[in-house]
Amino acid sequence: MSFEDTELIKEFVVESQEHLSDVEEKLLAMEEQGDNIDVSVVNTVFRAVHSIKGAAGFMGLNTLEKLAHRGEEVLNKLRSKEIRPTSDVINALLRATDRIKFLLDSIETSNELDISDQLKMLGEILDCEEPSSLSQSFDGGAKQLPETQRKALDIQLSEEALREFLEECIENTDQLEQDLLAIEEHCDDDTIINRIFRSIHTIKGSSGFVGYTELESLAHAAEDLLVLIRDGKLQFHKSMSHVLLKCIDVIRSMIKALESKDSSLALDGMELIASLRLLQQEKPAPRNKPLGPSDLASEHHTPTASPETEIEKGEIPMVTSIVPTVSSASSVPVLPSSSKSDAVATQNKAVPDTNLQESSIRVDVSILDKLMTCVGELVLARNQILQHSNRSSDGGLQASAQRLNIITSELQEHVMKTRMQPIGNVWSKFPRLVRDLAVICGKQVRIEMEGKETELDKTIIEAVKDPLTHLVRNTVDHGIETPQARIQKGKSPEGCLYLRAYHEGGLVNIEIADDGSGLDLDRIRAKALERNLVSPDVLAKMSDRDVAQLIFVPGFSTAEKVSNVSGRGVGMDVVKTNIEKIGGSVDLQTQRHIGTTIRIKIPLTLAIIPAIIVLDNQRRYAIPQVNLVELVRLEGHDEVQKVEWIQGAPVYRLRGKLLPLVFLNEALRTGASETNANLESLNIVVLKAEDRQFGLVVDRIIDSEEIVVKPLSKQLKGLTAYSGTTIMGDGKVALILDVIGLAKSSSVLSSNPETNGVEMQDKNSNNGSNSQTLLVVDVNESERCAIPLSQITRLEKLDPRRIEVSNHQEVIQYRNCILPLMRLDRVLGTGGSYREDTEIDVIVYTTDERSVGLVVHQVVDITETVVKVEKKSTQIGRTGSMILLDQVTELLDLPGLLSLAN
Amino acid sequence: MKAMVVDDSRSIRRIVGDILREAGFEVADAANGRLALSLLESGFKPDVALIDWNMPEMNGIDLVKEIRSRSEYDDVPLMMVTTETEMERMAAAFVAGANEYLMKPFDREAILEKLQILGVGI
Repeated sequence: MSFEDTELIKEFVVESQEHLSDVEEKLLAMEEQGDNIDVSVVNTVFRAVHSIKGAAGFMGLNTLEKLAHRGEEVLNKLRSKEIRPTSDVINALLRATDRIKFLLDSIETSNELDISDQLKMLGEILDCEEPSSLSQSFDGGAKQLPETQRKALDIQLSEEALREFLEECIENTDQLEQDLLAIEEHCDDDTIINRIFRSIHTIKGSSGFVGYTELESLAHAAEDLLVLIRDGKLQFHKSMSHVLLKCIDVIRSMIKALESKDSSLALDGMELIASLRLLQQEKPAPRNKPLGPSDLASEHHTPTASPETEIEKGEIPMVTSIVPTVSSASSVPVLPSSSKSDAVATQNKAVPDTNLQESSIRVDVSILDKLMTCVGELVLARNQILQHSNRSSDGGLQASAQRLNIITSELQEHVMKTRMQPIGNVWSKFPRLVRDLAVICGKQVRIEMEGKETELDKTIIEAVKDPLTHLVRNTVDHGIETPQARIQKGKSPEGCLYLRAYHEGGLVNIEIADDGSGLDLDRIRAKALERNLVSPDVLAKMSDRDVAQLIFVPGFSTAEKVSNVSGRGVGMDVVKTNIEKIGGSVDLQTQRHIGTTIRIKIPLTLAIIPAIIVLDNQRRYAIPQVNLVELVRLEGHDEVQKVEWIQGAPVYRLRGKLLPLVFLNEALRTGASETNANLESLNIVVLKAEDRQFGLVVDRIIDSEEIVVKPLSKQLKGLTAYSGTTIMGDGKVALILDVIGLAKSSSVLSSNPETNGVEMQDKNSNNGSNSQTLLVVDVNESERCAIPLSQITRLEKLDPRRIEVSNHQEVIQYRNCILPLMRLDRVLGTGGSYREDTEIDVIVYTTDERSVGLVVHQVVDITETVVKVEKKSTQIGRTGSMILLDQVTELLDLPGLLSLAN
Repeated sequence: MKAMVVDDSRSIRRIVGDILREAGFEVADAANGRLALSLLESGFKPDVALIDWNMPEMNGIDLVKEIRSRSEYDDVPLMMVTTETEMERMAAAFVAGANEYLMKPFDREAILEKLQILGVGI
C-alpha cells in the first residue's frame, strides 16, 4: 500500500465503522417503508457510503472504493425512486455493507481481498456490469477547467461581485506587500509566511472564479513557491521577496486593467511566472530552524519531487486514483500526511488576525458625504435656534435649545469620525517606496512610524498623499547619505526615515524626519543667489532657519542634478502650496550632518472650520482662522493717520515691519464704505498668506464661530476672492474669504518672491552692500531719479492747498510741526511743473529732529536692485546715473543733497 | 433550503452565494471557521455547508471536525471547496467528516451537480 499515513488510515477505519454502525438498521427501515421510502434516510446512508468512497479513493484503497461506489449507485437509484427497496435490493446492500466492514477490519490487505460476489449482486440490481454515469461524480468539479481559458477582462460578473473582487484583491495585495517587507526583516516568522500564503491563495482562488486566467496563473506560481517556503523546503531570501514584490506590481496592474476595462494596462506576468518557477527549483536550503510539525510532514516526501511539481506536470491525483478500472495502487501520488494540515491549523490559530467582519460594515462614501451635509445643515439650524432662544425668556425653550446644542455637537463629532481614516493608510505605501528607492540610490534606509492610527478626514488624507510621498522620496534621495558616507561620519550605515503623526490643538502634526546629512545651507545660499531668488543684502541678514525655508521658494532645487527619484517636475514649493491649500503649514528644521525634520500641520477636517466673522460695508464675511495672525485696532485719528502710502499702496508699520494693507471694500469692489481719512478707528485683521503677512481692513470684527463650509456654486467658482459660503445663525449667507486669493488679487502676494520681500527690506541700514531698495520718482515729465529707501523716513500725499509760505520758504503743517518743503526740480535745477489741483507726493526726510519734505513730480515705483552706477557723479548729493526700469535714472544721496540745499 | 458558505474571500462568498441564492437557497456566510461556528450557534441550521480549506482563525478541516463533534449537525452534508494544491489533503477531510468536495474554480453547474449527489436539491 502506497498510502503512508497509517494514523490517518486508522482514523478513517474508526470513522467509517461509526458511519456504518446504524446503516443496517436504516436499510431494514427502508425495506419496511417500501414505496413510502424516506428519502432523508436514504440520503444519510448515501452520504456515509459516499464519504467512505471518497476517502478510500484518496488513500489508494481501491477495492474498498470500488465496492462503496457500487453501493452508492444503488442507493442513488433508491433515492431517486428508480428502484424500489425490495428485499433483494436491501439484501444486496446489507451484504455489501458487511463486506465493507470486513474490508475495514483488515484494511492493510483490503486491496487483495475479493469483492466479486458483492459487486455482482449490486450489479444485477443496477442491471449492468459497468458503472453508471455517477462514476464521474468525483471529477465533475474539474471538468470545466479547460473552459477557464477565457480571455482576460472578458469577465461576466455582476458589477457588485466584480467590485467586491477588485476591492478584495487590492486589500490582499496591500497586505501582501506589507508582509513581504516585514519578512525581509524576520525571515523565519511562520506567522507572516502563512499570512503571505493566504493572501496569495485568496487572490488565486477568487481570480480563478471570475475567470481571470492571467492573474490566476501568476498567483498560482507565487503560491507554489510559498508552499515550498511554508513547508520549510526552501529558505526565504531577498531575491524571492524581490520577485514577489514585482508580482504585486503586475497583479496591481491587472486589477487596474480590470477596473478600467482596459486590458492594455495589464503588465505581462509570463516572465515573472518563469522567475517564480526558477526560484522553486533552488536547492533546499540547509535547515536553520528547529524541526516543527510542518517539517515532519514533509519528511514523508522524497526530497526531489514535491507534490506541487507533480501537479504542474498534470498528474492531478484525483484523476488517476478514482477511475474505478484497474488503476493500480502505485499510481496514486505521494500524499502528505494529515499532520501537515494540522500544522497549518495550529499556525493559523496563532495568527492574531483581528476580524473586522463582525464589528464593521462597508458604507459608500457618498452616503457619508450626504450625512456630513445633513449634519452641516443641522449645525446651522442649531445656531439659529440658539439665537432665538437667547433672545427668548422661555426657560423651557432655552433648556431644550441647550440640549439640542449638546446633542448636535456630539453628532457632528461622531459623523466626522466616520469620515476619518488613519494616516497609516497613506503611510502603508511608504515602506515599499522607500525600499525600492533605497535600492536604486544604493542606500540603506530603515523606516519607522509612530502614530499610524492618527486619524484625518478622508479628503485631507487624499490631499496630503502626494505631498507626503514627495517628501519621503526627497528624504531618501537627498536626505540620507550613502552607507559609505554615513560610516565616514561615524553613523550607522543604515539611515532612518522617521514618520510621526499626532494631534495637537485641533490640528494634526505629521513629521518626516531623517538622520541624514541635513540641508547644506551654504549651497542653498549660493543657489538662491545664482537663481536670483534673493538679493545678497537680504540673504546676509537671513537666519539659518530662514535660509532653510528658501527651498520652498518656487524655482528652487538643491539637488545638483534632478534625479529620476525625486525630480518629477514638482518642487518643494508645490508641496508647500498643496499643503497650504488645505489650510496647513509646512515647517522645516535642519542640522548639518544630523538630520532634517519637516513638520506639516494640517486641520482635521475641511467641512467645519473655526472662522472669524467680520463686517464690511454691511456685509458679513468669514475668514478661516488658520490664516489669522492677530487683530489690530487703530483707535483715534492720529493712529489712523499712521497708515502710510507707498506707491499708492497703503501700509502700516506694525512693530517695525511694514504691513501691506488691503481694504476689503476696495479689494472686493463693493464700493467705498467711508474714506480712510475720516475714520476714527481702523480694524486690521492681520492674515498670513503663504509666507507673507498683510492686514485686511474691515469695518468691524464680529466674533469667531464654527462655520460649515459650503462650496460655491459653479458660476462663482472662478472668483478668487472667495473659497466658499456658509450660513450664519440668522439664516443669512456669508461668503468665506480666500485669503491667498485675496492677497494675490490685491498684489500683496505675487509669484515673484522679490516683491514679496518688501517686508524684509524695512531696515534703516545700508551696510555697504551694493544691493539697495530704491524709490523711483519722476523729477518732471522726462527726468527720473532714484533715492535709497533707507534714507527716506516717510512718503506722504499732501493737499497742495495746505502749502503756506513762511520766510520765503514753502512750508506745510505736518503732524503738528512745520515741515519745510523743497521742490526736487529746483534743488536739482532741472525745472518742471507741479499739479496744483491734486495731491502732491512728498518724501519726508528726518534727521536729528529736523524734517524736510521733498516734493517730487510723481512717485513711480519701489524696486530692489543691485546698484551699478554707469556714470559716477562728482557733485555732492548725486551718486551717478544708472539704468533702472529701462530708463536712465539719476541716483541721489538725500543727506548730501539736502545739506547742499540748506 | 439553507446553505452556509464559509470562505475568507469576500468575492468567493459573494459569487458562490449568488449561485446558491439563484438556485433557491437561503444563504448565510462566514469568513472563517470560528465565525461559521458562531453562525451555527446563533441558530442557523443549514441543509448544506460549503467550506474553504485555508482560512484564518479556524481553517476548513478544523471546522469540519468541530461541526461533526456536535451531534445536532450529524446530518448536515459538508462540502469542501478545494484547490488543486489542497486535493492531496482531501482524504483527511473525508476522515474528518466531509462528504464531498468541489474543486475551484467551478461554475454553477458543478455546484448543482455536487449538491444533487449529496441529495441537497430544490
